[in-house]
Amino acid sequence: MDDEDILTLYRQRQNAALEETAMKYGRLCFSVADHILQNPEDSEECVNDTWLHAWNAIPPEKPRVFSAWLSRVTRNLAISRLREASAVKRGGKEIPLVLEELSECIPGGMEPQHLLEQRELAEAVNRFLKGLNLEERNVFVARYFYAASHAELSSRTGWSVGKTKTRLRRTRLKLLSFLKEEGLC
Amino acid sequence: MLNRDQLFDAMSEIPDEYLSAAADLLGYTKEDNLMHLEKNQKSTCPRKAGRILLVAAVIACLFTVTAFAAGLFSISTRIPDVKESFQIHWNDSENGYLEWSDAKLVLTFPDVNESREIEFRPGWLPFELPAELPGSAPWNGISGETWFQRFASESLCWADNAAADPADYKDIMQPILIESYSMAQFADGGAMLMLYQTPGEITEEHWDRLNVDVLSFHGSQHFDERDIPELDMHIDARDIDYDYVLLSNEEKGWIVEICGQLGMDTVRKVAENLEIRETGNTLTQADFQNKFLFIDGGVG
Repeated sequence: MDDEDILTLYRQRQNAALEETAMKYGRLCFSVADHILQNPEDSEECVNDTWLHAWNAIPPEKPRVFSAWLSRVTRNLAISRLREASAVKRGGKEIPLVLEELSECIPGGMEPQHLLEQRELAEAVNRFLKGLNLEERNVFVARYFYAASHAELSSRTGWSVGKTKTRLRRTRLKLLSFLKEEGLC
Repeated sequence: MLNRDQLFDAMSEIPDEYLSAAADLLGYTKEDNLMHLEKNQKSTCPRKAGRILLVAAVIACLFTVTAFAAGLFSISTRIPDVKESFQIHWNDSENGYLEWSDAKLVLTFPDVNESREIEFRPGWLPFELPAELPGSAPWNGISGETWFQRFASESLCWADNAAADPADYKDIMQPILIESYSMAQFADGGAMLMLYQTPGEITEEHWDRLNVDVLSFHGSQHFDERDIPELDMHIDARDIDYDYVLLSNEEKGWIVEICGQLGMDTVRKVAENLEIRETGNTLTQADFQNKFLFIDGGVG
């Protein structure tokens, strides 16, 4: 089914929207989650949360590229899950609860200054990506957005693992220079 | 100050078309039936996702994530599967190598073809630098101006050393060991291995003064009580504890290990006060016999 048809199902509040999404993008979202969480059960729960988020968000949201939108949601949820686990380990179970309570005091859940800096950084990263050639950009995004392993990248690009690491390293060094030029680090 | 978490988070804003292209590269967008929807679960907990996102936004500002986000950190660590084995070059064995399958920790680095060779000088030590220190280089005569590539102080445990009171180091096998390594050695699947000690929590940071990524952790090994009848000897149960600090400069391709049994604060202070300089030589993997190396204090 085309993405537009699936999104129409969401707007009509038909459960089939979720079935079609899972059918078409289950593999994508599971891969995104599992690269970060490294645990099939957690990843499956994370993907289920993604479907739930999609159900709650659409409408009013209108994803332009549905697969990318789902990837982004899954990644954010997986990172949240990992950080919550990390927070529990380091600071006890109370820390996430305290933060959750405090978040109600902050409009949007984040401090404006942080949002501004984060936005500036994200825009700089996107300008940097725009300057890369297609090959460099795809491998960089596959590694640092999707957290794909070197071996996985190697098998998809046909490069050796060593070459994959070297190419990524060069791109990282380019990013470092770029961010320095932009005054961001 | 920009940190890697912020950078990692910034990747979430990558434009849709770039994400789609990368997903295509990875083959993630093919339709399949890997995931099955649980409809009831979806409709009975509608508030969960919203709550998670709200919490995540705040947590993301405050907490550091570990190695997964370390795309920009130059040391990767993993606990190997118990069945995973490493072929370690060993001239004296029949096959020319040993198969090691019980490593406790694997440390890997970016693949580099060449490393700058370095040497170091301790700017601070917990004891006065002895005039002679067997196990360290250079072998003849040591002074505050001496530069090393390996500094071992195990002889302080037993030497009649005027510069230090051996009683302070009684039962200590290795007060401080400092050793330099080259990333080029570990290219193409090589690694540093911890063979005997079990690592504790691993901390990652960056030190601007030395321009290095820093990994620190505690290592511990337990020995059961046992008798050695042939020597008419009894050995009590004991633990051997080491603290490790690894300094890594990806740009230059070098690593320095500082470890010892005088506590993490001491080991860190030694590390923080190191002076490091390049010798002018470059090293490649061909300069080394083995692409694996053991880091347990004093091993190998």
